[in-house]
Amino acid sequence: MRYIDYKKVIPRTVAAVPITLLVILPAFTTNVITLSIIISSGIWAIAAMGFTLILRTGQFSLGQAAFMAIGGYVSAIFTVKLGFPFWPSFFLAGVVSGIIALIIGSIVLRVGGIYFSIITLALGEVVRIIAQQWEPVTKGSRGLITSPPDPIILGSFEINFATSAVPYYYFLILLVALSGLVFWQIGRSRLGGIFFSMAANQILAEHQGIYLMKYRVIAFTVAGVFTGFAGAYYVHFLSTITPIMLGLWESIQIMIMGIVGGVSSLVGGPIIGSLVLYTLGIYLSRLPVFGIQQLLFGAAVVLVLLFLPKGTGLVDLWDKFWRKVFREPEFYEEDTLE
Amino acid sequence: MLLLELNNVTKLFGKLAALADISVGVEEGEVLGIVGPNGSGKTTMINVISGYYRPTRGTIFFNGKKISGLRPDQIAAMGIARTFQSNVLFEGATVLESVMVGSYLQYKTNCWQAFFDTRAFKDEFEEVVGKVLELLKEFELFNDTFLPAAGLSHGYQRMLGIAMALLANPRVLLLDEPTTGMNHEEAMFVVDNIKKISEQGVTVILIEHNMKVLLNIATRVVVLNFGNKIAEGKPEEVMNKQEVIEAYLGTETI
Repeated sequence: MRYIDYKKVIPRTVAAVPITLLVILPAFTTNVITLSIIISSGIWAIAAMGFTLILRTGQFSLGQAAFMAIGGYVSAIFTVKLGFPFWPSFFLAGVVSGIIALIIGSIVLRVGGIYFSIITLALGEVVRIIAQQWEPVTKGSRGLITSPPDPIILGSFEINFATSAVPYYYFLILLVALSGLVFWQIGRSRLGGIFFSMAANQILAEHQGIYLMKYRVIAFTVAGVFTGFAGAYYVHFLSTITPIMLGLWESIQIMIMGIVGGVSSLVGGPIIGSLVLYTLGIYLSRLPVFGIQQLLFGAAVVLVLLFLPKGTGLVDLWDKFWRKVFREPEFYEEDTLE
Repeated sequence: MLLLELNNVTKLFGKLAALADISVGVEEGEVLGIVGPNGSGKTTMINVISGYYRPTRGTIFFNGKKISGLRPDQIAAMGIARTFQSNVLFEGATVLESVMVGSYLQYKTNCWQAFFDTRAFKDEFEEVVGKVLELLKEFELFNDTFLPAAGLSHGYQRMLGIAMALLANPRVLLLDEPTTGMNHEEAMFVVDNIKKISEQGVTVILIEHNMKVLLNIATRVVVLNFGNKIAEGKPEEVMNKQEVIEAYLGTETI
């Protein structure tokens, strides 16, 4: 008889239930509002994964929404101005965003730490201003109106994005799964270990033969590619893009979603964080209070930093819960007393 | 041919010369001790060799190639590994995770192969893990493999530092005071291990205050004082030189 490790099987089974429910959600409801909440939070989740990957290397990017904007504008310009079909321009959005991340990264990442944060913050503003001023291409602050993706026709079977939100929903799940797979594999492979060591002790890592610049640029570029995809998809889902849509607050929102979900996990944390915060934010914004969403996000960060320190977040509550259930001893925690 | 050669190396901090025109040659397989009072430039010398600082003037050659001006990671990849004066650890890492980072230089497969988990990478991974575990056994760290490195005692943290440096496959090992804060037995354990390392053909350069340790293992000693080289030679001879005694104890004034 094969030995079954119930301590692994039971949590996985329980976790599989909500995931399956999410996948077959359109079978229960095709309500556009319900589906669009999950689609949007999935898009933010991909961006937050990128932020978390950069944070793994010890750098704090405050301009991730700029790459969403770059991806969005590239895709919008190619479809609206140049008449490309959706799919090639969606692909180009990721590629262009990645190339820009590569170029900017190889210049900016020479200075690490706080300077990197400042420069990425400025990058977000620069992208916004270019989008506003470059009127012949971006139509300035009026923005571009995009059309939904072209229908996919497979024989007699037709997937039409224009008539319902369900195709968007499934394509989003595909996108999240794909990027999740890539980020998870990065975290698991040798790259993950190198990123961890760079964040843990830069000088020691360098003397162990790790070229910091190279791996920082790799993380920044991978994050840029997937954030570009997320931005392009966001723009075509909302069917519009304006310069103020992806600005400083959106960068901060990406950061908060990553932190609240838990930066200890590259995939689970961002997904949980964006699902919880985006859903709560949408429902709270129905209250007649100005800025309630920002208030919620700020409060969430403070609470997580207080009660779940050291880079853990909501996603770590899951492991904690199961350790309680199986009465396993807590992991060794180093003494924090100085 | 000399394995490592420092030619008139000067390192200035502002107007203070931490190293003033130092020329030292190191032959393959020897154990070179560096001694001197506090602030005499011993650690600066190691920092300059390992690329942490760039020398203000002068050149350093390793195996016939100029290495002064290269980045620390390039120098490490060429085969010069080092440890640090204080216990420098990867924050939050276990012992195994720390030494695994040290072993990344051993891989010949690239990042793509690691990302896609190819057969070649898996085989190499197993080989490297085997080496890592063997080294942990040698340094008596095997029982603590899965414990956080920060929880080790001071002596074992220093041992871990040496193990990490060794995993980078060095030809030259720079040890910055490997026996500080250890009792005699622990120090002798480190000395035995350094001897073993040296027997495997690794050239060792170590900074040491403990004269017993130096007399035990060093084949040659360089004495520094205020950034100047004041003596060089066999440990027994150097210890009796007038300049060295003066540097340590001061000159007699009436």
